[in-house]
Amino acid sequence: MTDSEAHDTARLDSLSEKLDEALRTLAEVSDFAKHTRIRRVFDTARRLMLQEGGCARVEARARQLDEAGVFMGSDWAQPQTLIPSLTSHSLKSPDADTVVVEALSELRLLAIALGDYVHPGMSSEQAHHNLTQVMAINLELLFGAPSEAEREQQGKLALLPRNLFRHLAERIGYEHVIDKLIEEIWRILQQRPIQVDSVKQMITQIAICQANPDIDLGISGQGADRLISSLYGTTQACRVDPGVEVYRERLNSMDAGALQYEATGFARAMHDTGLVSPYHAVLLRYLLEQSDHLLSEALGLSSTGRDCLLCYGELVHAMIDEAVHPQTAQAIYGLALLLEKGILYQPPAAPALWRQLALPISSYCQQRLSLAFGPELSPRVWLMQGVLCMLGQPLGVGQGNNPTCQSARALSMWAYNDPDYLLQMVVWAARDDEIIIHFEGQPISSRESASGVATELPLDLDPVSLLVVPHLDRIYAEMGRRCIGREGDPHRWVNPEFHGWWSGRGFRINVDVETGKLDQLEDFLRHFYASYHPYFNGNQPLIHPQPAGIAVTDSAARFVGWHAITILRVTLDPREEMRVYFYNPNNDSGQNWGNGVEVSTSGNGERFGESSLPFEQFASRLYIFHYDPLESGELAQVSVEALERVKGLIYQSWGADRLPAEPLQASAPH
Amino acid sequence: MSKNRKENFNPEKGYVAILGWSVNAIEAADRFDRRYVVVAPDWAEEYCVEHQIPYVPWNFERLNDRSMEIAQTLKDMGVNVAIPLFEETVEWAGAINSVLLDNPRLFGQAMLLRDKALMKRRAQLGGIRVGIFEEAHDKEDVVRFLKRVNQTLLKLDGDPNDPIHLKAFDKAGCLGHRVIRTPDEVDSIPDEEFPVLMESHLDGWEFAVEAWIHNGKIRFLNISEYVTLGYSVFVPATPELEKYRAQITTQIEKLIKTFDIEFGFIHPEYFVTNDGEMYFGEVAYRPPGFKVFELLERAYGFNAYQGLILSFDPKTTEEEITSFFPKEVVDAKGVAGCFGVYPRRRVVSRLEIPEETEEHEYFESHELTAPLEETVTKRTAFGTHWGLLYFFGPDPIVMRDLLKHQEDLDFYV
Repeated sequence: MTDSEAHDTARLDSLSEKLDEALRTLAEVSDFAKHTRIRRVFDTARRLMLQEGGCARVEARARQLDEAGVFMGSDWAQPQTLIPSLTSHSLKSPDADTVVVEALSELRLLAIALGDYVHPGMSSEQAHHNLTQVMAINLELLFGAPSEAEREQQGKLALLPRNLFRHLAERIGYEHVIDKLIEEIWRILQQRPIQVDSVKQMITQIAICQANPDIDLGISGQGADRLISSLYGTTQACRVDPGVEVYRERLNSMDAGALQYEATGFARAMHDTGLVSPYHAVLLRYLLEQSDHLLSEALGLSSTGRDCLLCYGELVHAMIDEAVHPQTAQAIYGLALLLEKGILYQPPAAPALWRQLALPISSYCQQRLSLAFGPELSPRVWLMQGVLCMLGQPLGVGQGNNPTCQSARALSMWAYNDPDYLLQMVVWAARDDEIIIHFEGQPISSRESASGVATELPLDLDPVSLLVVPHLDRIYAEMGRRCIGREGDPHRWVNPEFHGWWSGRGFRINVDVETGKLDQLEDFLRHFYASYHPYFNGNQPLIHPQPAGIAVTDSAARFVGWHAITILRVTLDPREEMRVYFYNPNNDSGQNWGNGVEVSTSGNGERFGESSLPFEQFASRLYIFHYDPLESGELAQVSVEALERVKGLIYQSWGADRLPAEPLQASAPH
Repeated sequence: MSKNRKENFNPEKGYVAILGWSVNAIEAADRFDRRYVVVAPDWAEEYCVEHQIPYVPWNFERLNDRSMEIAQTLKDMGVNVAIPLFEETVEWAGAINSVLLDNPRLFGQAMLLRDKALMKRRAQLGGIRVGIFEEAHDKEDVVRFLKRVNQTLLKLDGDPNDPIHLKAFDKAGCLGHRVIRTPDEVDSIPDEEFPVLMESHLDGWEFAVEAWIHNGKIRFLNISEYVTLGYSVFVPATPELEKYRAQITTQIEKLIKTFDIEFGFIHPEYFVTNDGEMYFGEVAYRPPGFKVFELLERAYGFNAYQGLILSFDPKTTEEEITSFFPKEVVDAKGVAGCFGVYPRRRVVSRLEIPEETEEHEYFESHELTAPLEETVTKRTAFGTHWGLLYFFGPDPIVMRDLLKHQEDLDFYV
């Protein structure tokens, strides 16, 4: 060891010691006074992370940092709620504390991702996903030197995020970072979410890095081309990202053949990735004045969709004119899928969409939309785009970073199963600022109901959810309040009234609400098989989407919480295995639930946005389902082995500490 | 979730009222084994409700007819003793404790400790050395005193004057403290600052003492060394100052006797002159400013606020208080110091901690914030620093020089 190395190590040791001491004093103080002790932790951690090798020292203390209360009361308190796209702002903040707490949070994620810190609220996979996205969004921090602006704003502090990202990449594996990101982006895109802003942001970052001659990505990043081109160079005429005005000029000089070429290029890219290029919007608007044939090509329609377009030409034109702009290009994908589904052939759909086009939006809703999406386009444009996307991609609805899975599930279910009801909800919310749903004959107004599950108004949602979810959330909570005092789980009454007549009024739950212990597990499972499994229900495919409740577990199979999902289909997968296909309103459904239960989102016969599990594995996480009480209700003769397998999966995971106290069996005398 | 909520308090011990608002003090009480209640103005209510802090609203204006009311309220609640946190609550504590402890003398004692002129007279009567002092009611009094002090020192016209110090009667520490050298400077004193106490300047070494007292005995005696008054302080002191510890202890014992202090906490200031003579400056019956309690915790590891509660609680046992406090100087894990930053330039635009400060091994943290205004108001009195820097390390001499050196650095540029 050279002298300077010895000196560096000594300095790291001394700062680590100071950090330990600062954490010790922070840990011992009562919660309300944490802020009086936090300064020393921040100042010491900052100096440590500015040292070569300092991030490793902090990472090793991730658990102590968290437990001492460094994140308490801040936006970083719960790692499972962190939004990767916000990191780029905080890491570039001129405020040292913001940079430090964000960096500490990233190192905590790293420790969770690598399994060194077992966190009660987050699995290592979740942490890994989150971290990869953070790296994707901040790629330039990994490969680039501080810009002039950063140096001016942050000074020496600008080195901190760079040290951090170097450390993250080294720990996760440098050479794979970019490829992992691309894999991650594809994995998310395969679920076809409505909201793609953060995906776009990640792709943009990769593009910026590729274009920067100072950054050597080596051989990695090859797979990014398809993603980048789908946004910024989809076709011949926009290959080098010339800007929308130039592109619009170029269209003027194209003949029908060239336009056809452009149209199919965009359509292929859109259906391939689920992403829509802003140039695509320019083309589509231009084609409004050309032919419906070209319009259909640009939407990539099959004969079903084309028929629909031709039948409702005027409506489709009006919707494109209203909703499709470079900023709202995703509306094109929503529109294309809407046409493909043939929704417009349902008698109320077309008039309801005409009503939507002319809908006066309340000033409150206008404000909310402008706040969430910016003032550049009128709020009605955003709402129309949102309507098209939700009708086209019902399984792409996400709950954002909010505890409102029931409301997201309801919206998705209506878009999937009862589109004109959804359009009615949108009208009530957007025009009247009030939704009324009846509960056992009594009207419940969202305006009169006190509060919902969510304590704050969400902003990180698609336009329709943004306006409708707060109403649904309050109504849902009020229905729950009206069940107070009833025995058992309130979902029994709330779910059918809230979601629609097709939700079975029959209800089964395998947890005793009083004790939290497992209850009549075997009957529950046999009944579930009898209701849903085609081999046991007379080969009857599921007709309507059904609400169900899941006990979510993390990758270590530990119980995380109860969660609302929709069962969509139960059928054989391409490998002839019986699978349950379901919708999960959380924003990323690819999850590892532990003891071998890995939710699949593609490759096992899933349609876009569906999650799936083999039947037994699904049954092992189910705790609530609905059924039609008029069906025979005979318990299925499931084999003992199959039931034992399912029960085993329950006992090894969320059921581990829920075993009911067994009555002692007196052994029979011989 | 807080750890030690008050259901865990020890019923054998006292129930204390904390007068004034200090999160550090409340937090220390919250973790301690005594039942407590915070007496603070009503703006504290929301915070207390939110964090389930036991609280009684009270506005500490001047003592008035209603002072019996709060004393009675606390007595009815079963409170045993009131602890003042700030200069303004010292007389309230005296009034309340005279009721709670059924000892009317405590009120008189508190009034004595609140008035710097009365305090000095009492000290003088007790045989404690004090400098020359006088009360001033207007500017003319100040000019007269300045002249007379310098005549006494046999200065001739034209010789540079020895300065005199002006202090408000009833304010804490450095608030309202001015140094006057020439009659011209007298004009800069606003009329509303009168009356003030004037003192001759003592050429010597000023230091402060923190002493925890129980049953009339000193339980812990700390000597805080000032590097430059109003700028910096550290604990424990250098061996050069600590060599006076025996003498200082004798002085404190005199003070305890003179002021008839049975329990609680005192914070006196002294000068030691070149010939080793101790001069009494003033004494406060409350925790010192400048975060000395926090420095003590860093240096010794004990919570000085909990020590405060112990020293006030009449139910504290001999054994308990003896085992609570460490042994002075030898038990310190290191030296903790802080430095108050004043901007040195007239116009500043941003905060920039000098690299040499931040990179110093002793540096721990800072509480400086970005400047709100670009123009720096000219400093006329002590006690308005812009924030503190904290240091910790093994060597008191290194600490002293390091703190001194900070005075030459710019933190706002």
